[in-house]
Amino acid sequence: MRFLEMGGYAAYVWPAYGLTLVVIVLNIVWARRLLARSREEARRRLVMRGEQS
Amino acid sequence: MTFKQWFHRLGSPPYVYAFGWLSALLIAYGVFGGLVLAPPDYQQGDDFRIIYVHAPTAWMSLMVYSTMAVAAAIGLIWRIKIAHAAAASCAPIGASFTLVALVTGSLWGQRMWGTYWEWDPRLTSELILLFLYLGYMGLRSAMDDLQRADRASAVLAVVGIVNVPIIHYSVTWWNSLHQAPSVMQLAKPTIPPSMLMPLLSMLLGFTLLFAALLLVRLRAEILVRERSASWIREALHP
Repeated sequence: MRFLEMGGYAAYVWPAYGLTLVVIVLNIVWARRLLARSREEARRRLVMRGEQS
Repeated sequence: MTFKQWFHRLGSPPYVYAFGWLSALLIAYGVFGGLVLAPPDYQQGDDFRIIYVHAPTAWMSLMVYSTMAVAAAIGLIWRIKIAHAAAASCAPIGASFTLVALVTGSLWGQRMWGTYWEWDPRLTSELILLFLYLGYMGLRSAMDDLQRADRASAVLAVVGIVNVPIIHYSVTWWNSLHQAPSVMQLAKPTIPPSMLMPLLSMLLGFTLLFAALLLVRLRAEILVRERSASWIREALHP
């Protein structure tokens, strides 16, 4: 488990890597959610327009 | 297929996912190489391994801003709607990675400089970059009219580009705590290959990640902006 100790710098190295991973994942989730939401909205609008005509 | 057709195709779904997976591979190798393969630094020990997340995120903060400013300028000058959409899609990505660059740098600085924060030229100009991103996003969300929001925020983005060379050269212009560049220089990099390769892999991986994120966000942005276009039906039900 010497690897996890990072030569005494564990308290600095792991949070730095952890934060980076979290922000990468959040960015992917945000982008996908944004696309899903705008597709949903566009689809709803198409249905509404179809009912009017 | 001409070059132009090929290049345009890169922006469509199968290629976007290819960018994403390629970026995941490069980042995975970079993390493994940075944490395991690279030897500890002779002065900084294992603490230097923060470079493998700090340098790529700092690179992202500048590259994304430059992309955003160029897109904004194109939108302003030639009035191309999709350029404004691209600029708007850059901001949240850039802001989040600028924050990571600041925090990882601060964690690194605590042990190497003895402080989390110092009002140093590099650190201060990078903080201003974060405020530029936040100001850009705030300005956009404060305006209801999309065209006015596009133009006003584009001016801010273009003016803010002066900060990018300031950040890059701050370490050579002033006496900064921050070290001078060891990779991004014209001469040969001053770090050995076992340390350099994972770093280059991370830099390329993050760049591709940005491409993938930007293209996904751009699709969402276009769907909202072109809400009344006749091709929307085809785009939703291929």
